[in-house]
Amino acid sequence: MGGPDLWVRLTSLLVPGDRRDDWIEEWRGELAASGGTMADAWGALADAWYLRMEGWTMDAIVRDLRAAVRSLVRKPFFTALAGVTLAVGIGANTAIFSVVDGVLINPLPFPDSHLMVSYNFEAPGLGVSVPVIPHSEGTYLHYLENATSIESLALFSDGSVNLVTDEEPRRLSARVVTEKYFDAIGLRPFLGRGFLEGEDRLGAEPVAVLGYGLWEESFGKDPSVVGRLVEMDGVQRRVVGVMGDFSFLDADLWIPMAIDDAEPELGSLSFIGVARLVEGVDVEAANTEMQGLLMRFSEAHPEELGAEIIEQAGLAADVKPLKELFVQDVRPVLWVLLGTVGFVLLIACANVANLFLVRAESRQREQAVRTALGASRGDVMRQYLSEALALAVGAGVLGLGLAAVGVRGLLELAPADLPQALSIGIDGSVLAFTAVISLASGVLFGLFPVLGYGRRDLSNVLKEGGRASTTGRERHRARSSLVVSQVALALVLLVGSGLMLKSFVALRGVDPGFESEGVLTFRVGPPDAEYPEPTQVLDVYRRLADRLTEQPGVQSVGMIDGLPLSGAKSAGAMEPEERPYPEGELGPIVERRSVTPGYFETMRIPLAEGRPLEWSDQGDQHRGVVISEALAQAFWPGQSALGRMIRNQGAEFSWEVVGVAADVRFDDVADEPLPMAYFPVVAGPPERLTGPSFMDVAIRVGGDPLGAVAGAREALRAVDPRLPIINPRTVESIVNDSMASTSFTVLLLGIAAGIALLLGTVGIYGVISYIVSRRTQEIGVRMALGAPAATVLRAVVGQGMALTGIGVGLGLLGAWGVSRVLASLLYGVTATDPVIFAGTAALLTLVALLATWIPARRASRVDPVEALRTQ
Amino acid sequence: MSRVRMTQITALVLRAVAGGYHYGFDVMERCDLPSGTVYPALRRLERAGMLKSRWEEALDAHADGRPRRRTYELTPAGRDALPEAERKLAEVRRVLGALPPAPTGEA
Repeated sequence: MGGPDLWVRLTSLLVPGDRRDDWIEEWRGELAASGGTMADAWGALADAWYLRMEGWTMDAIVRDLRAAVRSLVRKPFFTALAGVTLAVGIGANTAIFSVVDGVLINPLPFPDSHLMVSYNFEAPGLGVSVPVIPHSEGTYLHYLENATSIESLALFSDGSVNLVTDEEPRRLSARVVTEKYFDAIGLRPFLGRGFLEGEDRLGAEPVAVLGYGLWEESFGKDPSVVGRLVEMDGVQRRVVGVMGDFSFLDADLWIPMAIDDAEPELGSLSFIGVARLVEGVDVEAANTEMQGLLMRFSEAHPEELGAEIIEQAGLAADVKPLKELFVQDVRPVLWVLLGTVGFVLLIACANVANLFLVRAESRQREQAVRTALGASRGDVMRQYLSEALALAVGAGVLGLGLAAVGVRGLLELAPADLPQALSIGIDGSVLAFTAVISLASGVLFGLFPVLGYGRRDLSNVLKEGGRASTTGRERHRARSSLVVSQVALALVLLVGSGLMLKSFVALRGVDPGFESEGVLTFRVGPPDAEYPEPTQVLDVYRRLADRLTEQPGVQSVGMIDGLPLSGAKSAGAMEPEERPYPEGELGPIVERRSVTPGYFETMRIPLAEGRPLEWSDQGDQHRGVVISEALAQAFWPGQSALGRMIRNQGAEFSWEVVGVAADVRFDDVADEPLPMAYFPVVAGPPERLTGPSFMDVAIRVGGDPLGAVAGAREALRAVDPRLPIINPRTVESIVNDSMASTSFTVLLLGIAAGIALLLGTVGIYGVISYIVSRRTQEIGVRMALGAPAATVLRAVVGQGMALTGIGVGLGLLGAWGVSRVLASLLYGVTATDPVIFAGTAALLTLVALLATWIPARRASRVDPVEALRTQ
Repeated sequence: MSRVRMTQITALVLRAVAGGYHYGFDVMERCDLPSGTVYPALRRLERAGMLKSRWEEALDAHADGRPRRRTYELTPAGRDALPEAERKLAEVRRVLGALPPAPTGEA
């Protein structure tokens, strides 16, 4: 058998069966007569394809679809059940896909965003959980001057300013940026201009670019605002431009940094770098260059960033597509969710396939008659497929509606840091996705009843009055495999959601080290320009604390520059005075905070020894500090830390430990507590006397914390009517938000697993009931011959349980393989937790037992006489 | 029996069969078209009732020491369609003749 002959045989598989033999013979004849080359034989494929598609003219398709819709409408219960099942699956997939698409797949909404990179550092050796290690002013100037693989390097950090207008003072989110920021993001103000060269340096005239929303709300869209002076934080800033209406630019306004050219800040890494790659340069090349320049910077500034410190911290260049910066935290969650809803859709398909099988069974006679009257196998197949596709399309439309509602709900529930939440919605690619999964699932379950159809001897069907013949076994196997896969898939989802739930419970059970209930918090930021002296700032805080304490119901008041779990970060290396680290060796990274007296009391953070800070600790040259137990253990294991002196690594000024506070989970509830040092707000050496630019005020009240907001506002107004009260909320909500991505995943996985369990149960119930109804006669005979009801019951339940058992076994294997994908999302539970595996398997088995029990009981009560009469 | 759209291809194939080329591969050679074009055209024409196919006598084939072949012949309907096929081909010739010569490398 030569190549052409093999080719003809292969392509003949496409030819409808009734013509296949003739067709092969025809092609062989021609090839034999002409000396058959492969070139001549190629056309067999086109010919075979033509014959396969012959019946599928537009007219025929429309006719089939119309017939399909009619036949579906005639069975409204079946159609509604199958359609809704499928619509739930398709809707869930569409909803999650639209989030995945908006967050992970869509490019960032900036021009040429593929060229945009995050241009920062990484430092795995520090053991701090941050997406990137940002720049200091010094590294920025270094790269600005030397990097050639990138252009428009810009830094940004998020700050806030108080805007004073005639009405209430407003707190605005201000993005503090370098001059080329607008070039870097590729967007320019639509009124006025961006920032000019030199405007981000110390001594330049203070300017600002307004966001569209702010321009609309506070300036009534007045174009003449450009050029005007506006007071922000007590500084007169000239408005130089207004940005267009880009909702994804989540800042109220942009103001330039004020870099001191002569003495740039070198050590404080707090500005995130973005840049555009020079056309033709890839991320890797830019990274290599950045790394080389880092070494040069280190050589030039050994005292701030020596080679040993770089090595110890593992500091290295980290250039990556800008998108990575936003999506790295949510990526695993989203893929897990998409996989989850994919499982739900498969289960839904299995259910509908089951319904179709049952229906096909009951239509055997109809099909046999049609075939006898001349319908080809292809015709029958087309009919089934048309019905499946018509149903799938209907379900797809319904699912799309469900998804539109679902997406809105998802965004309500989604963690606030879900990037690009605004660009999520039903768009072209989501529609395409829905269309594809609808049609694919239609083909999937539509083909099920068709498989094996051709092998059936139809005359037998007619003779037997539609009762299952030898082929009944085949159908039975198909149905059983559907049940088994449903059970298996449902178990995988149950295990997944069980693991997530256990993680969530474990997270909730973690003691963060403070008591969040009953505490209200808000932020307050007295601007430098209005309070140039640190003592004035301190005075504001002190008077505010006094005023708040006088409010009815207030138990205690404390302040800190960044509450735990609120995302604040300000860390640096420290050392004990008596044992300084040798040059080049890095001390432990300590989270450094400023607190007012009352902070520990208000947050109920117990002191292990010593005393909290007092107002008398505040002020010039005072050196009292409270450290956390973790830090005390690190420096003086097993000894008292009281009276010891500590300092920032390499600094002159030392602090005296006056108290040791219990550990607090600061970055993340799931992370071990960081070593911490709590300083007075204004104290110590002259350079530290400026004090923090804001404080988070914590107020412990008797009742509902939010009820105290009005009183807090009043107290603040009495201190300074120009200070806005920023973001009042409960500390409890901060703790909850910090777990938002876990609780979001738990909720969605829980819903998915619930649906899977329900669909799986319905599937088992449906199949077992169907089997019982087909066996009614046989059961009747057995009982007439004396089989006790209990035996029948056992037999039927046994049949259901056997299927469930296989499904549970496969499901456990599947879950074992799949659950490690979840590992990065889990806390306090391993991906193969035996309790969860056993528990969910038992739950599923129990539910399956119930689902088989009902039809089994029906079977055991069969009246033999009735059963035999149904013949 | 469905109508067939008279295209250049179907016209060529129909005329070839009318001109005495009864085997599929002969039609291919006559029209200088690949098998993947000729066979679907033959199927369409047969479906439209313009051609009729049958197996040749097995004995004839065996005498030549080869498997039997399928032959295609015009039906009365096919004969009626010949003028339409000629018109189609004339039109194609006219359109092609009106085209300027293909541009050479310089143009």
